[in-house]
Amino acid sequence: MGKLSDALAVLDKPAVLAAVQEGIEAGTDPLQLVEEARLGLEAVGREFDKGNYFLMELLRAAQIFKDAVALLTPKIKERYGSAASRGTVVIGTVAGDVHDLGKNIVRDLLQCNGFEVIDLGVDVPAARFVEAIRQHKPKVVGMSALLSAAVTQVGRTVEAIEEAGLRDEVKIIVGGGIVGEVKRHTLRVDHATTNANEGIGVILDWFGREQA
Amino acid sequence: MKERLSCYERLELAWNLQEADRVPVAPVNCYIIPYLAGISIRDMFYDPDKLIAATIKAREMLGGGDNIDPNITTLNHLSMFGRAGWDQATLDWRIWDDFPPKGNLPSLFEKALIEDYDDVMERGFAPLLYSKNGAQAIFSRSIDEFLYYEFEYPKVYAAAWRRFVEEQEVPLLMGGRACHPLDMLQYYRGIANLTQDIFEQPEKVKAMCDWLVEYETTMAMRDAMIMGAGEVPGAEVIFFVNGGPPGMSPRIFNEFYWPTAKKMIDIFVTRGFKVHCHWDNDLTPHLETIKHMADGLPKGKLLLDLEKTDMKRAKEVLGDRICIFGNVPSAMLVYGTPEEVDAYCKKLIEECAPGGGFILSTECETPWDSKPENVRAIIQAAEKYGWY
Repeated sequence: MGKLSDALAVLDKPAVLAAVQEGIEAGTDPLQLVEEARLGLEAVGREFDKGNYFLMELLRAAQIFKDAVALLTPKIKERYGSAASRGTVVIGTVAGDVHDLGKNIVRDLLQCNGFEVIDLGVDVPAARFVEAIRQHKPKVVGMSALLSAAVTQVGRTVEAIEEAGLRDEVKIIVGGGIVGEVKRHTLRVDHATTNANEGIGVILDWFGREQA
Repeated sequence: MKERLSCYERLELAWNLQEADRVPVAPVNCYIIPYLAGISIRDMFYDPDKLIAATIKAREMLGGGDNIDPNITTLNHLSMFGRAGWDQATLDWRIWDDFPPKGNLPSLFEKALIEDYDDVMERGFAPLLYSKNGAQAIFSRSIDEFLYYEFEYPKVYAAAWRRFVEEQEVPLLMGGRACHPLDMLQYYRGIANLTQDIFEQPEKVKAMCDWLVEYETTMAMRDAMIMGAGEVPGAEVIFFVNGGPPGMSPRIFNEFYWPTAKKMIDIFVTRGFKVHCHWDNDLTPHLETIKHMADGLPKGKLLLDLEKTDMKRAKEVLGDRICIFGNVPSAMLVYGTPEEVDAYCKKLIEECAPGGGFILSTECETPWDSKPENVRAIIQAAEKYGWY
């Protein structure tokens, strides 16, 4: 790990931005700087898994990462035209539920990991998920559900995706509140969790496996 | 077997860390009451007599319980100044008639209403409430309506619950409700902005928390007095929500959450109230700090209502200091079976009840769509396994 990733690992925003600036001025490949920052983010994720960092630190790391990437984006465009995306994920909080905390954290972490995220917002009807799958052709659909009734709504949304004949084209992950305590097969999804970092790991695995 | 006690006596002994006749049992039944009794959410909010009748009916269906939630939350939602206006700011006045999927429960929306902490601390919340974000909702009500729900309706509401307590001999879960400033800031700033503030302007966040203490404590105690604190059993309890934003590390908990929480608890108790800390999320990493909750205070004034916290560990750390309350999982109540609930309650009683200081209850609250037989299983478990 270098200076940039070390600074991100300890959530030192001024040091991260200074290291990025230094790298830009030294003519370092901006994608290499993004990769260094990502290593720092991964270190934060490991600390989270060990119980040394908590959700707020994870959120803070994503914020610092995004600030660093914002400095680098013009340089990336200058050199490469546009940044390559790792893939597309459609995400939203299901109908009847307006909680967006968990969804936003996962969205930010996915973006930090190079995914294009189509965020459908909160209180998203099943039909809107179906429409977004048709339009954006994501490999993964993420649904957030905090309330117990929203968990039922996850089932309805999965049903709508099945009825539209799209179920085999996407992996579905559901997160938030009590969903981690509901048996996965009851929801007919590919993964259910209450842990944002775990969810990101699962999605990375899915994309990794498909790329392999 | 000891002589059978009244619900209030049983709860009092638990608050005082003593064994009663049996483990008190008190699921936090809120929206499940109108749902089971067949009244609308609107009626629950606006018609106390219908709510009381529904409560009696639902209690029969669910097997009772040693106290009852008088839904001070809904009272706060109707009040202009309740919770410093945060209900208005975040609720969008969505009080539906129906339950999902046709309607919905009132839900809080995070909004970045506060842009400048100094401005709020200097001018108060009025500029926020009357900002372009809040004004539309507020001015959709008439002045008459405002004044009625601020000053008259709480008395009507309190009188209805006083009659309930007298007739049913069941105490209230609470008389007033206070919100920790950090929870309020989560709603007012949004979790992402609040996280950024904690790292980038920590002193401002602390100052804002400090500024909110007087407002929150005063409003909660006012409500409790209107509900009959000192006369109506249970109305002397301040329901102190919500345990802070999720995912605080011990450093953030100790530096930003705990000092204000302890200050508010001390204010309530020194003024003669009891405090029911309804603290969500998993607070297991913070138990060593929380154990100082009762420092400097008389016995029997504090209760800690836990959601995802490890109850066995909580009993070990807090057992000789604070009464604990909880925590049958919401998912189990909606998707599980009475047998699963029974087994979970039996384990909770075995781990937490010895020596007293434990009340068997739900996580956060009983979901409105819980299976009634699962809620009944909680009550029955106290009768089966809870006798001292």
